[in-house]
Amino acid sequence: MAQTMYSKIDEYGFERPANFDYEVHAEFMGKYMHILVRRAQRWSTLKGKNKFTRSSKLKRFIRKGIPLDFRASVWLQVSGAQKLKEDSVWNYSDLKKKITNPSLIDIIKIDLPRTFPDNINFIGQEQLTGQMFNVLAAFAHQNSEVGYCQGLNYITGMLLLATRNEEASFWLLKVLVEKILPKYSVTNMSGLLIDLDVLDDLVRKLDVDIHKHIHKIGMPWAMVTTKWFICLFTEVLPTETVFRIWDCIFYEGSKIIFRVGLTLIKLHKAEILRTKELSELITCFKEMRNHKDIIDCHQFMIHIFQIPGRITDSDLKNLRTKYSKAQNQR
Amino acid sequence: MEHTEPHSTEPEMANRQGAAQRPNGAQGKICQFKLVLLGESAVGKSSLVLRFVKGQFHEYQESTIGAAFLTQTVCLDDTTVKFEIWDTAGQERYHSLAPMYYRGAQAAIVVYDITNQDTFGRAKTWVKELQRQASPTIVIALAGNKQDLANKRMVEYEEAQTYAEENGLLFMETSAKTALNVNDIFLAIAKKLPKYDQNQGQSGQGQGRRLAEGDQGAKTPGNCCK
Ligand SMILES: Nc1nc2c(ncn2[C@@H]2O[C@H](COP(=O)(O)OP(=O)(O)OP(=O)(O)O)[C@@H](O)[C@H]2O)c(=O)[nH]1
Ligand SMILES: [Mg+2]
Repeated sequence: MAQTMYSKIDEYGFERPANFDYEVHAEFMGKYMHILVRRAQRWSTLKGKNKFTRSSKLKRFIRKGIPLDFRASVWLQVSGAQKLKEDSVWNYSDLKKKITNPSLIDIIKIDLPRTFPDNINFIGQEQLTGQMFNVLAAFAHQNSEVGYCQGLNYITGMLLLATRNEEASFWLLKVLVEKILPKYSVTNMSGLLIDLDVLDDLVRKLDVDIHKHIHKIGMPWAMVTTKWFICLFTEVLPTETVFRIWDCIFYEGSKIIFRVGLTLIKLHKAEILRTKELSELITCFKEMRNHKDIIDCHQFMIHIFQIPGRITDSDLKNLRTKYSKAQNQR
Repeated sequence: MEHTEPHSTEPEMANRQGAAQRPNGAQGKICQFKLVLLGESAVGKSSLVLRFVKGQFHEYQESTIGAAFLTQTVCLDDTTVKFEIWDTAGQERYHSLAPMYYRGAQAAIVVYDITNQDTFGRAKTWVKELQRQASPTIVIALAGNKQDLANKRMVEYEEAQTYAEENGLLFMETSAKTALNVNDIFLAIAKKLPKYDQNQGQSGQGQGRRLAEGDQGAKTPGNCCK
């Protein structure tokens, strides 16, 4: 990573934004390299067959970041993807042979070159784009309620970058869409509409001033937050920050999305309240990725467990029930 | 990734070559309109906006998730028209989010791809929905995009034109790739929008919103869009 510190391309092949703050980044990386080394040492002390079995110690470890080399195995274990795979009556390579639906193949193919066209690992690289096609088509084939939803291409691309393993990416995609996330990607995106309302509710409880201001300007949450839910912050936040968030999503579930979202909003309170019109507000949300506290993903991951306060699974469940009833009455 | 979602609010763009230019020194009124782009995925909505706002084209434009927002200004005689452009996601399932985006829009561009008959059918569905649900005074333009691929044409010009006439829509075939008719379609919309000053600062149905004094260098006293 060290040699990419000043590069225009990040460790995962993405072009950095035009206004990327190299100084802030360099300062952070100086610190972060030490953290990564220390974390790698700590992880190497985990031993035995059950070392990645869910436990409070492992959860703590994960919140501090999974070392790159372990990421794929840990995600597979703690998310239940590995279990899905072991319990499945079919295997991935058989499934791939059944990809025949021509309209599905067409819509996925249209999006392949439109996924990460600025990433050197994807652009014109047949290996990764071919794997992305296989994962998306296989997934769509075995889940007709979801099929292909735009956005899954970005998630799959990120999974491939993190794991460098097609089959692992397939099972991780499956566990995300079918177990971890609510019904975001189904054909009416009902889960997304509900969670947009839940977010609005949580923002109001977090900070009424911000909530009032956003409503006064008239920005629908969907405008800036759809990518939070659908792409799990891909291309919204720096790549390293995104993977650190995913570490926690695979262990702790979709409430992490709200923790991250609320933290982003709260950390930008002053900037948000300063905006006077929609275009400024939207620019403010787009610029969040350049914020010092967000580039420092290690500090940011501490913030997300402090700033939004307590959000339990059952709180979230109740809110979702409340807003799904509200949706049905509309 | 930056270029795939161009940043909003770029006042200097008003003078970009290709966009309508304001006659030197002219002081006029400023009107602001909300314009939404609708249409099937991959027909070229984002590409049209990118061409109009930044004068660029990308062979591989990322699919839009949620919505993108940009602004661009055109000048008509003594009036400066500022478009607030809402570019939406095209995949059918994102449809449920669309009403949030076209609510209060004074103009819409419904886009289809002339090489794909299905996208024309989808465009008609959008037009119907807008006529039923959007502001009754909304100005709708139909854009048959990818005109540079006319050798693979599946939708006849006359067919679309007849449909547009029957439904009172502006109609042009465009190409985000070659820039054909891109500025023109936005200009045609600007011309058709009613430019009177209604309640100041309020975004009324079908009415341009008057910008606050001092915004975007508006120095003219009195009504903006009389
Ligand atoms: N030849 C040609 N290709 C075009 C034109 N406009 C867009 N494209 C290409 O068509 C593809 C889709 O364009 P987009 O602008 O992303 O389409 P969109 O309607 O915004 O799609 P969604 O965001 O998925 O709804 C891209 O690869 C563009 O390069 C055009 O006028 N001519
Ligand atoms: Mg688009």
